Amino acid sequence: MEQGEIVEKVVRYVTEQIVDDASSVEVEVISDGEDSVVAEVRTAKKDMGRVIGRRGRVARAIRSVARAGGDEEGLDVQVEFLD
Amino acid sequence: MEWVEAVGRTVDEAVAEAMNALGESSKDAVDVEIVEEAKKGFLGIGGQDARVKVTLKPKKRQRRRRGGRNRDRRNTEGQGDRAPKAKSGGGQGNRSKQQSKSKNGSKNRRQKPQQGSGGSGAKKVAVDKKPEEKADIEEQAQVAKEFAVGLLKAFGVDGDVVTKVEDEILFIDINGEQTEALVGRKGAVVQAVHELTRTVIQRKTFGAPRMRLDIAGYGARRREALKIYATRLAETVVEDGREAMLEPMNAADRKVVHDAISEIDGVRSFSEGEDPNRSVVVAPS
Repeated sequence: MEQGEIVEKVVRYVTEQIVDDASSVEVEVISDGEDSVVAEVRTAKKDMGRVIGRRGRVARAIRSVARAGGDEEGLDVQVEFLD
Repeated sequence: MEWVEAVGRTVDEAVAEAMNALGESSKDAVDVEIVEEAKKGFLGIGGQDARVKVTLKPKKRQRRRRGGRNRDRRNTEGQGDRAPKAKSGGGQGNRSKQQSKSKNGSKNRRQKPQQGSGGSGAKKVAVDKKPEEKADIEEQAQVAKEFAVGLLKAFGVDGDVVTKVEDEILFIDINGEQTEALVGRKGAVVQAVHELTRTVIQRKTFGAPRMRLDIAGYGARRREALKIYATRLAETVVEDGREAMLEPMNAADRKVVHDAISEIDGVRSFSEGEDPNRSVVVAPS
């Protein structure tokens, strides 16, 4: 299994479930070669607000499940939302 | 992870109290953190009780069974090094009061679905206290179930998702031997999954119902432990005639405490402080 695969799947799944335009969701997991990864999330511009949520609630929840996914693989996870 | 905080005249007493509340008799099965040492008073005045925090070690499986099911929930090893990374990052800090209110306080609060590109205009929350125009809660249950099943699959974890609707509340239970990994430190991941499930329901149906979401029985265990703890604390408050403050907790947990206290004569409870540091105070009434 590739490093960060669970993180990628989890972040992608959750993001796609939340947005209107699932086809525009891009999730890229970048590894530092050791035990931490950064998941970069891109969505259609109009969906970004949704992914972040009021006061960042949804973004925080996504980070939390992403970290849980990372735990499964022994990875430290950061999630960045980019537009 | 399950823990309780308890007080006693000595550390040992406090630990015994906490273990009692946890229903655990083996000291090997728990970690003890001394929050405050006891101080001797003078002629019984001015002393301070010992305060300890006792946590069930994750190794130990609970005896608790849900619905008679007897799954052998093996330990999810191999994630033992999660502690350092579970730090709650910057996220926690900016929780607002509004959020916590809406989390618990509002019955049947409906939110207009945010349409398309809208951002600003759609932010207003339409409060509709009458449960007449129900977004179909059965449909919402279905959406929740599908979302949770998909989430388990994304995690690569086996588990069952059971939903039921009772008194207009949607219950979602996620169980399975591997789902313990989705609890998180102090249930952080449970809360996150709850939040995401609500968001998805809101997006796919009209509004979201009141929900209880539990993973691997975490919430049930925690509520039970909290209830017992609150009850014992109330007894102490009645005896001493002094207020006691619990550690900060979220709205759902505070409600468990308030509910437990309301059933006991001679004490009342209220909350103090601002989220995320809002705490329940138990006081003689």
